[in-house]
Amino acid sequence: MNNLTKMTRLEVIVPARDAPPIRDLITSAGATGYTSVSGVSGIGHHGQHSGALLFNEYDTLTMLITVLPPDKAGDLIDAVRELLSTSSGVMFVADTYVSRPDYFQ
Amino acid sequence: MSLILRAHVAAAAHDVVSSWPLESFIAVNPLASRESHPFETSATPDATLTRSRDAYLSDYRLGRIDNTDLEAALIERIPAFATSFTVGTSTISAKRVAVLDLTTVEWGSPRPADGTPTWIDEYVAAWVSTYLNPDPLWMMPHSERGLFGAWRHLARHDTALPRRARRKLGGVPSEPDGALAWALNELEIPSQKIVASLREELNRLPGWVGHIKWRADRIGDIDIASYLAVRFVLRAILDISPVHTSGPSDTGSPEPTVWQRAETVTRSLLGSEVTREHIAAIARVLANHPVTEHPYTWQKAYEIHYRAALMPALSATHEVHGRPEMQLVMCIDPRSEGMRRHLECDPGVETFGFAGFFGIPMRFARYRARGSIDSLPALLTARHHITEDPTDMAQTRRLLARARNRDAFRKANHHADSNAATPFAFAEVTGWIFGAASILRTFTPALHARLARALTPALERPDSTVTVADSFSLQDRAAMARTAVRMMGMTGFAPLVVLAGHKSESANNLFESALDCGACGGNPGAANARAAAAIFNDPAVRELLSTGGIDIPADTVFAAAEHNTATDAMTLLDQHLLPRSHDQFVQRFDRLSRTAGDHLLRERANDLPGASRRRSSTPLRARAHDWAEVYPELGLAGNAAMIIGPRRITRGVDLGRRVFLHSYESGEDPDGTALETIMTAPLVVAQWINHQYYFSALNPTTLGAGTKTIHNAVGTIGVLAGGSGDLRRGLPWQSVGCGTELFHEPMRLAVVIQAPLERVGDIVSRNQVLRNLLDNDWITLTARHDSTAVWHRYTRYGWSQAPITTEGRRS
Repeated sequence: MNNLTKMTRLEVIVPARDAPPIRDLITSAGATGYTSVSGVSGIGHHGQHSGALLFNEYDTLTMLITVLPPDKAGDLIDAVRELLSTSSGVMFVADTYVSRPDYFQ
Repeated sequence: MSLILRAHVAAAAHDVVSSWPLESFIAVNPLASRESHPFETSATPDATLTRSRDAYLSDYRLGRIDNTDLEAALIERIPAFATSFTVGTSTISAKRVAVLDLTTVEWGSPRPADGTPTWIDEYVAAWVSTYLNPDPLWMMPHSERGLFGAWRHLARHDTALPRRARRKLGGVPSEPDGALAWALNELEIPSQKIVASLREELNRLPGWVGHIKWRADRIGDIDIASYLAVRFVLRAILDISPVHTSGPSDTGSPEPTVWQRAETVTRSLLGSEVTREHIAAIARVLANHPVTEHPYTWQKAYEIHYRAALMPALSATHEVHGRPEMQLVMCIDPRSEGMRRHLECDPGVETFGFAGFFGIPMRFARYRARGSIDSLPALLTARHHITEDPTDMAQTRRLLARARNRDAFRKANHHADSNAATPFAFAEVTGWIFGAASILRTFTPALHARLARALTPALERPDSTVTVADSFSLQDRAAMARTAVRMMGMTGFAPLVVLAGHKSESANNLFESALDCGACGGNPGAANARAAAAIFNDPAVRELLSTGGIDIPADTVFAAAEHNTATDAMTLLDQHLLPRSHDQFVQRFDRLSRTAGDHLLRERANDLPGASRRRSSTPLRARAHDWAEVYPELGLAGNAAMIIGPRRITRGVDLGRRVFLHSYESGEDPDGTALETIMTAPLVVAQWINHQYYFSALNPTTLGAGTKTIHNAVGTIGVLAGGSGDLRRGLPWQSVGCGTELFHEPMRLAVVIQAPLERVGDIVSRNQVLRNLLDNDWITLTARHDSTAVWHRYTRYGWSQAPITTEGRRS
């Protein structure tokens, strides 16, 4: 696809207090980086979630996004799924394409 | 370590509640990880959720709980008890039957598990303590390798371990990840039991584990995986299988059957003419309320009784007419309630309640100080650094030189005292000076404090301003001021507006920061008050506020102050910044606050162990300097409710320093954003504090820190009871009880809000933290639209009119 390189993108939405172990898994899996979006709002399995709160970063939702080569993604997906089996949060996995694959190796 | 094992470690540690160090003690709900579950299902091996049956029955006999409370609690928990049924020819109310059952049936009081540390617990605790001690006599060798690396290296020479185990240690992987995987394999723990096994091991030393979790997030010199690696490798090389903790709440005696209970109740109701049909009819009712639920009904009744006295007190309104002479904004902390009440005896004084960090989250360092404090709620991360800018450099240089000399002297003393070679010589040379000082300090603490102040002028602070304008843009400062005004519902401004933070001053008190401001991260609130006053006095900020409709008169001056909750002294800060035009207001504030402080101090003396209100205020204040005093003040003991609403509904009401008070005017907050901020931040912090007191009172040896008298500090990290073992969690016994009796009444926070019900409901609906707390019975919520409306209780099915029992009851 237009000389783009196929990668795997993971999006994990968890309570902000549960984000550190997810970040740890992402870096341990060999991902070269991640994006963190705090104050995510929406409606899900547990009902409605307000967005950013003025004086509370602890009880909002955070979305962590990472992109990594497909051969590294499997272990991370299994690990995040294992972690989310005992706590709240969701994970989305999708194929994605990047123009600078060396950034993600 | 494989990613899966790392995920297992994270899953096992998920429910561990971080435990803050002593220097910035943050009150947390020790069962916070259970907040998404019903309160009643949240007992753990080391936590009971209710008091004993004897305690409730004692309160019942004393009238602290009565039949009306029990009936209201029963109907709240099981609505079917609102009906009546027929037994023979009689019609009997179901709630009456259930109350009889409650007061007659016996149930074993739950007890937390023993938690006696094993040899491994003691051994690991000693290593963790050595590794983390910030001020050891000898630095731990190889500590740069991390806990596991240092232990693995040193333990090979540790004769506490058998020779065979030490030899085996040589073959263990050097990295904690690999070592943990190796140990789990050696111990033959099946993969499906790994998380449970790791969790069991974390439960063995919950105090240290809570601190490690905090440290892993904030400092990063240790993590849960390395701690678990030490424990599991130790088990593997010693060939000791992981233990399984015994379950909670072993009540000891078997529960009576529903038939036995029904028989007792039926005989009590009908006398001797009892048939099997009568008993069966009663049994059908009692089956709805098994004995296992009795403790929770008693607890609810206990809380309803308090609410029943509180709610009618909020019926009158007390307005301040005209422009007040001065306004005072104090922290929502229940201790502020007393000071506000006494200050408001003067009709020209108006007070407000606001989170004690005044909406300014900051990391603060004094001018050229070595350390800094994160003066903000634990719900936020410090991103803005603020310091001081001296206004008189000559004075500052002079004071700084004295401070350095004093610091050098203290450091030299500390080295001479703690060095292995010098303590005896040091004692010979200086013992007579320190001995005399100790005698003075022991027998005349107030005189010693006065002398210490006179002899150490280095403690004086140079005149300065806080550098708030360097850290926050003008827009940010204006937004913070606007938020504060809107959250408090301030519509007018007096000539003098005092923003008062608070601190607690006590000697030889390892838990001093637990008495400081919770909204400031367990620190004194003076820095935030100074920053807020600087913002409000900034003409550029006022101009921006004016464009948004908030007009602060030109003659209004904001001043920062600090309330010392141990002595009830109020001190105006940064007086060099106040204009001479306001001297009369400043003098008046000094007079009023001195009088209010004296009255409050005497009021508090009624509750303070060993104090008497008949004595002069001097010995009461001297308690703050007495290094043998374990009750310098009672902190937030007794806290039971939080009121979010205008001060006019509580002004003039003696709330007994038991209520968090946040000012709020729904008319000034049409879109509800201010209320949402209050409910998702100050309310959450108040709930943490409330449950810290609740569980420290109910579980003093497992979730509380036990008695202060045997505490030993591990640096500024925490305390041990005695010389070893687990780090103690929670509050010391002296914060909740005296002798063998509790003075803190453990009640879940009763939140009371005056605002449109629809607005309150919407906010709850869109915030999971509130849904968890309310739907799972961790707190209660009662609200009304305005002062003329009827109170409504929040239930998981919507609002319901507050039971009649909460209105018009005797106190």
